[in-house]
Amino acid sequence: MDQSVGGQLVIAAIPGIPALVFLVLALFGRYLGENAQFVAIFGVVGSLVFSATALVLVVGGGQPLDFAVNWIDLGEGGSFPIGVFVDGLAAVMLVVVCFVSLMVQLYSGAFMEGDRRFSWYYAVLNLFTASMLGLVLAPNFIQLYIFWELVGVCSYLLIGHWFEKPSAVAAAKKAFIVTRIGDAALFVAIIMFWRATGTTSFEGISQAAQAGFIGGGVLTAAVILVFVGAIGKSAQFPLHVWLPDAMEGPTPVSALIHAATMVAAGVFLVARTYDIFVQSPTAMLTVAYIGGFTAIMAATMAITKTDIKRVVAYSTVSQLGYMMLGLGVGAYTASIFHLYNHAFFKALLFLGAGSIIYAMNSYNLQNMGGLRRRMPVTFWTMVIAGLSLAGIFPLAGFWSKDLIVAEAFEAHFYVLYGMALLTVLLTAFYIFRAIFMAFAGEPRTEEAREATESPGIMTGPMVILAFLAVVSGWVGLPDGFLGLPVRDLFGEVVAPTAFAQEQLGIEPHGFDYLLAAVAVVMALGGIGLAYLLYVRRPELSGQLSRRFAGVHTFLEKGWYFDALYGATFVRGASALASAVRGFDGRVLGGLVGGVGRSIRWSGERMKPVQSGGVQNYALFILLSVLIIGVIVGAEALLIVVALIALFTIAAVAVGARL
Amino acid sequence: MIVAFGFLASMSLGCALGVVLSRNVIHSALFMSGSFLGIAGFFVMLNAPALAAFQVLIYVGAVTVVILFGIMFTQRPSVSSFRTIIQRQHMPGLVVAAGLAVFLSYIVSVQEWGGQTEPGQGPQETATFGENLLGVGGPEIFGLLFQVSAVLLMVSIVAAVVISRRKTDEGG
Amino acid sequence: MNQALPIEGYLVVGALMFAIGAWGALIRRNAVVVFMCIELMINGVVLTLVAFGDYLPQAGGVGASYAVLVIAIAAAEVAVGLAIVLAVFRSRRTVNVDEANLMKW
Repeated sequence: MDQSVGGQLVIAAIPGIPALVFLVLALFGRYLGENAQFVAIFGVVGSLVFSATALVLVVGGGQPLDFAVNWIDLGEGGSFPIGVFVDGLAAVMLVVVCFVSLMVQLYSGAFMEGDRRFSWYYAVLNLFTASMLGLVLAPNFIQLYIFWELVGVCSYLLIGHWFEKPSAVAAAKKAFIVTRIGDAALFVAIIMFWRATGTTSFEGISQAAQAGFIGGGVLTAAVILVFVGAIGKSAQFPLHVWLPDAMEGPTPVSALIHAATMVAAGVFLVARTYDIFVQSPTAMLTVAYIGGFTAIMAATMAITKTDIKRVVAYSTVSQLGYMMLGLGVGAYTASIFHLYNHAFFKALLFLGAGSIIYAMNSYNLQNMGGLRRRMPVTFWTMVIAGLSLAGIFPLAGFWSKDLIVAEAFEAHFYVLYGMALLTVLLTAFYIFRAIFMAFAGEPRTEEAREATESPGIMTGPMVILAFLAVVSGWVGLPDGFLGLPVRDLFGEVVAPTAFAQEQLGIEPHGFDYLLAAVAVVMALGGIGLAYLLYVRRPELSGQLSRRFAGVHTFLEKGWYFDALYGATFVRGASALASAVRGFDGRVLGGLVGGVGRSIRWSGERMKPVQSGGVQNYALFILLSVLIIGVIVGAEALLIVVALIALFTIAAVAVGARL
Repeated sequence: MIVAFGFLASMSLGCALGVVLSRNVIHSALFMSGSFLGIAGFFVMLNAPALAAFQVLIYVGAVTVVILFGIMFTQRPSVSSFRTIIQRQHMPGLVVAAGLAVFLSYIVSVQEWGGQTEPGQGPQETATFGENLLGVGGPEIFGLLFQVSAVLLMVSIVAAVVISRRKTDEGG
Repeated sequence: MNQALPIEGYLVVGALMFAIGAWGALIRRNAVVVFMCIELMINGVVLTLVAFGDYLPQAGGVGASYAVLVIAIAAAEVAVGLAIVLAVFRSRRTVNVDEANLMKW
C-alpha cells in the first residue's frame, strides 16, 4: 500500500503526539504544575482527530493501511521492521483508546487536583496512551511486544502513583510480576513462531500457518502461549489476581487502564492473531472455556465485595472473560463489539465510582447510601452504565453481550451458554447491588450526608460517556432489525478475514429474538433480586450472608486464590531470594572482603622487611642474586637442590632474625 | 710455584678474615693492607709486575692512609665484645656469603676456560704494558679511558673536599 | 715446579676474597670497616681480571690495563666515600650503620 508521506505522518503521529507530550511533561512538568493537564489534553485531542481520520480512511478505502521501515536487519530471517498496520480492528481501537484517554484526562484535572506529582501523573498517562496506540498499530510481534511491555510499565507506575502507601507499592509489584508471567509466555511464543517461519509479522505468520509451514503441535503450543500472554494482560483465570489489587491506584487510572485499554490488549492480541488461532481447535476451546470460567468466577466474587472499585474491577475481569469466550467460539465481531462498548460503560462506572470517592473520601459501600438526592448526575450516569453492563435493551451492552451469549448457543457450546447466561444474572445483580447500596435508601454515615456533586469537569466526561453507553451499540445493529432500515456498520468494519471465516465454518444467521429475550429476562431478574435484597428488605442480605457464611467467605476471599499463590509461589520465591541473598552476602561478600583483608594482613606482616638498614637490603640483594644464579646456572641437579635447600634455610633464618 | 701460591693465598685470605673479624678498627685497616700486599704478590705471579707496583703504591700507600685518616676523624675506642661490632644479621650473612663462595667457586671450576691455557698471554714487557694503557699499541679505547679516569679522579677529589668541608656555623 | 698453575686457582682465590668481603660488608656495624670490606671485594675482582688477562688468549692482553683503571677508580671512590662518612659523622656523631635507618617503614 503506497501512502503519501502526509498520510504516513498522520498515522505515525497518533502514538507520536502522546509520546512527545510525555517527554515534555517529564522534563518540564515541575515548571508547568497544574497546567500540565492542558498540554496533555491538547495532545490527546490531536491524536483523537488523527485516529478518526485513520478510521475514515480505512472504512472508506476498504483496505488496511500498511507501511513499515526496516529497523533491525540481521540478514535473512532476521529483519524486524517497525511500522503500522491499520485495519478495521485497529482503527476502531485507536478511536476508543484516544477517546477514553481524553475523557480520563479531563476528569483527572479535578480528581488529581493538589496531588504532589500532578504533572508526572499526566506524563505517565500520556506515555501509556502512546504505548497502547503503538501496540494497536503494530504490524508484527516484536513491535507489539515492545509496547506490550511498555503498557505494563506504565500500569506499574500508575498503580504505584501514591507510593507512600505500602499497599499501593505491593499492588504495583503484584501487577507487574503477575503480568510478567504472561509476558514470558508470549515471548516464548514469539520465538517459536519466528523459528518456524522466519518472520514475526502477523501477516507473514498467518500465511505461513495457512500454507502449513508450522506443524500442528508447534502451532497449538505457540498459540496457547500467546493466549497465556493475553491471560496475564487481561487478568483471566489463573492470572486474574492482580486486577482487584490494582485498584490502589487513582480511579481515573483504573478507568483508563484497567477497564478500557490495557486489559483489552489481551483480547486485541487474540483478535489480531485470529488467523493463526482458528487453525488450532484446541486453542480455540482453551480460549473459550477459560474465558467462560473466568466470567462466572469473577462474577461470583463480585457479589460479596464492599469496596465499590473492587466490584467494578471484578466486573472487568468477568466481561473480559466474555470477550475471550466470544473469540473462542468464533464470534469475532461480537467480541470486538463488546470490547468497544465495554470500554465506554466500564470507564463510566469507574469514573462514577471516582466521583463518589472524590465526594465522600471513602470507597466503602457500607458507608454510602442515599446519594441519589445529593449526587444526581453521578446517580443517573451510573444507572445508565449499569443497565448497559447488564445488557438491557436497547442500551449498548445488550447488542454486544447478548450477541456473544447467543453466538455461544448457536455454535453448540451449550455448557458455555449456560455459564454465560448465569453470569448475565450475576452481573446484573452485583452491579445493581452496588448502585442500590450507594445511591438508594438513607445515608449511613456523616460523609454520605455531606456529599455534594462533583465539579463540572468531572461530570462532563461522565455525561458524554453515558451518552455513548447508550448509543455506541447502535452502529452494530443487526441488519434489518425489527424491520427497521438499519445496517450492521460495525460488523462490516471489523470482521475476521475470509480465511478465518472459512476455517470457523460459521454459517451466517439472522438475529435470534428468543435468545435475546431470554438474556434480557435473566438480566431483569438480577436487577430485581438486587432491588429486593438491598432496597426492599436490606436485612435479608445480612441474614443470607450469615446463613451461608462459608460460601460468603469463600467468595469474599476471591476463592482463596491470593492465599494459594501467596503460600506457594510467593513463599517459594521469597525463600529462594533469601537464600541467594545470604549466599551473596556471606560467601561472595566474604570472599571479596577476605581477599582484601588477607592482602592487608600480609602487607602488615611484610612491613618489617623495610627495616631501613642498608645492610639488610644488601643481604637481600645478594641472596636474590645467588638464588637466580643457582637456578639459571644449574648443571648438576644435586648441587642445585643442595644449594636451594641451603638458601631456603637461610631465608628462614633471615626471616626469623630480622 | 705452588708454595708461593699457597703462601700468598693464605696471606690474602687470612688478612681478609682479619679485616672482618677484628675488634679494633686500626687492626682491621692494617689487616686490609696486608691483604693488598698478598694481592700484589699474585700480580707478580701473573706476569704483571708493573701492576703489582701500582697496587702497592695506591692501595697500600694511599688508600690505607686515607682510611686511617677516616678512622682517626671518627674516633672509636676498641671494644671487648663481638656484639658491639657485629650486626644482628651475622648468621644469615654468613650463610649468604658462604653460599656465594661455594657457588662462585663451583661455577669457576666447572667452566671450560678454552682448553689448555697457558700463562703469559698478556704483555710481557712493561713498555708494552704502558703502550697498551695509553692506547698506542693495543686496543685504542684505552686512550679515552685513561683521559676519562683522569677527569673522574679530579671530580672525585673536588667532591670529597666539598662534602667534607666544615660548615661555617658549626663547631670544631 | 715448572708446571703452570691452573687458572682455577686464581679464580677461586678471587671468589673467596669476594665472598669474605661481602660477608664483612653485611656484618660489620662500623661504616669505615664496611668500606674496607668493599675494597676487599674490589681486589678480589681485580685479581680475577688479571688472571683472565694472563691466561686467556682471547682476552687480548688487556686484563692488566683494565686493572689499572679499576684501581684508580677505586681509590677515587674511597676518597668520596670517606668524605660522606665524615659528613654523616659530623651531623650524627656516629658511624654505626645500624643507626642510619631513616628509611624504615
